[in-house]
Amino acid sequence: MIELNPLVELIIMNFAVGLIVTISLNIEVGYLRIPQFGRLLAVIVGAVIAAAVPGRILALYLGLPYGAEYADHMYNAKIVIQINNFLSKNLLLSLAVFILTLVLAALAGGVIGYLCAYPALRLKGSYLGITLLTFGEIVTSIAWNYQPLVGGTAGVYMVNPFAFVGSGSSSLAALITLTIAISIYIYAEILARSPFVRMLKAIRDSEVASEVYGKNIVKARAQTLVIGGAIAAVAGALWATYTGRMNVASYTRLTWTFWPWAFMMLGGVGNNLGILVGVLLFTLARTAIIQYKYVITSVIPIAAEWLEYILVGLVIIFVVMFKPQGLMPEKPTLTLPRKAIEEIRKRVEQEQGRL
Amino acid sequence: MIDVTLVIKAVVYSISIALGAVGISIIYNATKTFNFAHASMVAWGVYIIFAFFWFTKYIPELFLPIAFLFSGFLGVVTYVTVNRRLIMAKASDINLMMSTLGVDLILFAFLNIFADYLMYTHKIGIAKGFVLETWDPRIKILDFEVRLAWIVAPVVFIIMFLFIYIMFSRTKLGIAMRATIENPELAQLQGINPEIVYLFSWFLGGGLAGLSGGILSLVFAGGPTIGMETVVTFFAGAIVGGIETVYGCFVGGFLVGLSEYLIPPILAPLVGSWINSYRMVIPLTMMVLTLLIKPSGLGVIIERRLR
Repeated sequence: MIELNPLVELIIMNFAVGLIVTISLNIEVGYLRIPQFGRLLAVIVGAVIAAAVPGRILALYLGLPYGAEYADHMYNAKIVIQINNFLSKNLLLSLAVFILTLVLAALAGGVIGYLCAYPALRLKGSYLGITLLTFGEIVTSIAWNYQPLVGGTAGVYMVNPFAFVGSGSSSLAALITLTIAISIYIYAEILARSPFVRMLKAIRDSEVASEVYGKNIVKARAQTLVIGGAIAAVAGALWATYTGRMNVASYTRLTWTFWPWAFMMLGGVGNNLGILVGVLLFTLARTAIIQYKYVITSVIPIAAEWLEYILVGLVIIFVVMFKPQGLMPEKPTLTLPRKAIEEIRKRVEQEQGRL
Repeated sequence: MIDVTLVIKAVVYSISIALGAVGISIIYNATKTFNFAHASMVAWGVYIIFAFFWFTKYIPELFLPIAFLFSGFLGVVTYVTVNRRLIMAKASDINLMMSTLGVDLILFAFLNIFADYLMYTHKIGIAKGFVLETWDPRIKILDFEVRLAWIVAPVVFIIMFLFIYIMFSRTKLGIAMRATIENPELAQLQGINPEIVYLFSWFLGGGLAGLSGGILSLVFAGGPTIGMETVVTFFAGAIVGGIETVYGCFVGGFLVGLSEYLIPPILAPLVGSWINSYRMVIPLTMMVLTLLIKPSGLGVIIERRLR
């Protein structure tokens, strides 16, 4: 199996997961202006599902402890090693486990999105943003402290569904994640041209007018949150699977909420291609900073880590101040050209004439 | 039975939360900006106290005014460089919020650089995790051993409360601020310069953040992430109290601070000690419940009673 350069692999992984999360954010913020400052919530739920459920199902199947002992750091490593050994000889089962993980994560993310629809109905603007952010903090706090779920502070090891390839399994995970990211991107592009998103944009631009035309705003908002939550949860599950270890502390509101916001604002709110560019630019910049850490530190005597924060901070400020539309502003979706409409009309008439 | 020391520490903690919540509320009311940079302003307050204390070895409480002024200065810089332009461009409240998030990341980075500087250049091993409480002088009053912070914090709180009360009800600046908050256009017609009002609210809001950080450092273990860890509690205080009413935030801060500090130890004997780990969930839940049941917060109820 091919083994990628670790740096390339990291770039691919960061780009892919960043793209998925940012697309999910864009569906909610770009099309409906829901101030989703709680992106972390769906992501962490996805990661928790990926860490807690498939491993337990397999442990049950293999007759290993699957209850609270599964998440205990004394037993967890041993149990997961046995499961991975079993999976590495079982290609089809591995793939089934992987797909099941993603489906379960998406379902859980969707449920989370649906639950968020209630506050989204009652609150507006920064109030809603703060509420969603708080939901994320509450869930993180519980996942961090409730040991039987995913090991609490000690964390748990993840089942590795790509163990069958041997040494290159993380490269394969990165490539598969990239494939999933691209398919989600294509889905988002198709969605962006659908009547559904047109309706969302109408609601965003004038709630009253779209209500007058009989659009169900409550339902539309809930649907958007469900779609966004499901996609974000998939990103969380993919990241947890790739890292091989679920550690709640690495899921912070900074990396999973604020940075996707920065990616989105840089690229262009409401424009999928812009988001792709924004995520790519940020990923490359961050990797460059990490890669040339020592060079940077020798020139300016500060840890390169903080340079990353300054960079992200400056980008956010400059985009908000000077280019609120982002690098690639959202374009109005045009209706079909006159010619195409005429052709469709002709075709319909012909069909009617035939009848 | 709860320990008296615990109650006193809870009060000091609540004072810190209340002052910070009032800072958030003042900036929000004047400029409609939800200040995410509050986290780093609080943390800078903590570090100002720590650095001055370390280099002078005087009692930490002496430097509270410096923490106030420094974070106030940070607030002014934020206003002049970022917020002013956005307000003039009539940016949406989400954009205003995002811009302060950018400021927060930059302030956080500089705070960490400062902590690195203290640690590596000045060889202060504890620069990234210190407990200032250990150097807080103890005084004997009657038979009780009392820490200085237990006296200073309530005094600072009363001074700030009176200052805000007198300013908003007796001084021209305060009345101009209230007028601008109520209706910026009408206030401008009356000859009030909104820029001064915005500038002063950022100074006061930032300063209160620094002051609350200073007090927080006397009951909490300090470190560069202290602001990030506590900022949601500050938000909770502001929202439970009602972010649109400054006085409500005093109450909200106390309510949140006291319940966060006291509810787990009270419940622990009844339900088991596991509850102590979930301390952070209490203020957050209070905040979500307030937002869902009565988004305008407690302050509105209090104000109605006063009328």
